[in-house]
Amino acid sequence: MKDKTSENMDDPCLPGGLVPLEQWVLPQTSVRRSLKDAIRHALEQLRVGVSQAEEPFESMDELPELSAAQKRRLAPEPDYADQAAAIACGLEDARKDGSLTREVVCLVAPPFSGIQQALACFSEPGQSGSVESGGEEWRIVLPPDALSFDDQEACEWWDRQDLSRPWVIPELADFWLRCLSGLALVKELFRRIANGDTGRGIVGCSSWCWRYWGQYLENAQMSPWTPAPMDAERLGVWFARLASDNGKRVVTARMTSDGEYVLPLAKPDDTEKRKYSTFLRDLAAMARGNPGVALAIWQRSLRARPDDDAKLEEADEKPKKQSGAADCWVVPLARLSLPAMPQSKESVTGFVLHGLLLHNGLDMDSLETVTGVSVYELSLVLSRLKRADLVACDQSNKRWSVTPIGYPTVRRHLQSWGFPLDQF
Amino acid sequence: MIDDLGIKDAFASITGQALLQALLVVLIASLIIMVIQKVFPRVAEKLGGKPRLYLLASVPLLRLLIILSTIVIVVPILVEPSFENMVAIFGALALALGFAFKDYANSLIAGIVTLYEMPYRPGDWIEVDGQYGQVRAIGTRAAEIVTPDDTVVVIPHNKLWNSLIANGNNGTDNLMCVADFHLEANHDVGRVRELLRDVAFTSPRTKTWLPVLVIVFNKPWGMHYRLKAYPFDPKEQFQFISELTARGSAELARQGVKFVSVPVAAN
Repeated sequence: MKDKTSENMDDPCLPGGLVPLEQWVLPQTSVRRSLKDAIRHALEQLRVGVSQAEEPFESMDELPELSAAQKRRLAPEPDYADQAAAIACGLEDARKDGSLTREVVCLVAPPFSGIQQALACFSEPGQSGSVESGGEEWRIVLPPDALSFDDQEACEWWDRQDLSRPWVIPELADFWLRCLSGLALVKELFRRIANGDTGRGIVGCSSWCWRYWGQYLENAQMSPWTPAPMDAERLGVWFARLASDNGKRVVTARMTSDGEYVLPLAKPDDTEKRKYSTFLRDLAAMARGNPGVALAIWQRSLRARPDDDAKLEEADEKPKKQSGAADCWVVPLARLSLPAMPQSKESVTGFVLHGLLLHNGLDMDSLETVTGVSVYELSLVLSRLKRADLVACDQSNKRWSVTPIGYPTVRRHLQSWGFPLDQF
Repeated sequence: MIDDLGIKDAFASITGQALLQALLVVLIASLIIMVIQKVFPRVAEKLGGKPRLYLLASVPLLRLLIILSTIVIVVPILVEPSFENMVAIFGALALALGFAFKDYANSLIAGIVTLYEMPYRPGDWIEVDGQYGQVRAIGTRAAEIVTPDDTVVVIPHNKLWNSLIANGNNGTDNLMCVADFHLEANHDVGRVRELLRDVAFTSPRTKTWLPVLVIVFNKPWGMHYRLKAYPFDPKEQFQFISELTARGSAELARQGVKFVSVPVAAN
């Protein structure tokens, strides 16, 4: 059992902790804040001189993207078991302080937030990475293979699930399809939750799916919780934690354009004065506080020399010893080539992308069911979107989903075409 | 009479060079207007949602601004812009228009009124005198709408004074669509209403954050259901209504609810 008793808000696995949905705010920079930051930044620039040695000694723009090994070392995927423990701890704290009183808590998060993977770690005790909370064992409720049910069949299916002891649904989007016979399971689940017919449970739900069901069941009040948005500081803490390999390493990242520092973050007690970039603030706004999207852009923006692999390995052997040279370089967001939406006059692209987000990824047959677009046409659209790096297919289960790096472009496209959006 | 109005004096100072200059200005203005009228709708076609509507709506406004600017530039080139000269020219112009082009002037004035009252904008779906379609362009004298059958209908602006103009989306991208279902009586009305609501909610074209309503009327021949919802794009309205009707009919048939078998008009 992974126990966390420290203040959950400061947990670097889940920076900011969990907050009620209505407290979630989009990380952005107001005019006042921008002006304030700009003045402060300018003053710092004037106060702090950059020595010749600290300047990028050569143009870094042409450096190649990170190799797989470098990526694993400098910007790896998070450990979801740690995140699960942080979530369990956060929920327990919320129950203790009385801000969470419901038996069933809904955790809503935008795609790529890692909530689904973290909740999947709330598995049976004894399994690696499993999480227990308050001495309770959690049972994962898995979706049925086929999702077509009428009301009676849905009722019988839920009767067969043991919801009397603590249960977890990692992703509610896996329990329904946007077709007439695909709604019954979720409708019945919400009916049972509203009636108090279930024991303690956690329902993980993608923000797109939640938005749909919030509009479908307009009178349902579930008071969902969500991870706090990743602002610049939280992103910095999180990236530093990911790259630190459990505190063994301190990674330094600097801008390729002017050598300003991105990581490590400035500390109040720092004696050494450094020029810091606004990269993380811009990244937080661009990713709309979404950690998965921010990580994907971060991975793409990092650069390192091919011979840095050896240096990094050397650094691994000398923990806590920080060298003067940067471990990696960061390309400014303006120079990054992010996926662009292929031009199309037809709305089929929108149907496909909206369907994928609504259901957190779908296979071709299910996509045909929810969009009404033929498999032949779907294959044309999907291959086009795949070439643009906006969607990807998981070969293990043949499920198509939107890529984290393409998510901001996809969301903007759906917004401009008038499709229903999530609130994140 | 021309002497009385001072027109002769006003135009006495016009030289060949001034005429050429004025012609050049008019030519440039016409070119700019043509480019705007061609390019903006093409760019708008590539955009979706609100940006498309805003871009289309800016075309007549820009044209008016260019015309006004041209007049402001051209008149001082041709005549000395004194008070007497202005009164003479615009007085004569008003007189000529008043007599010769009464209806034309009427439409022109109505055209100016449409620009600030905005009863319709390019991109709006309107119905005037039984003609329904999307406003393609707003000219100086008339507006052009394209019907669902791809027929262009020219509607003079002076219809504004004495016709009822129905605007489906009124400058927004929210256009309510209605799918009608005429069913035999003796069925579970609550169940059918729920089912038709699900039909709208499961359509990929539905704006789910706007109301989805199912209205039912009891008629002598049976029950009349009206399923009301908003498509994500007004351009999709006909596919949307067709899809709702087809899927709703299929599901009602599956549930054993029958449609009325006689034409509604016969009752």
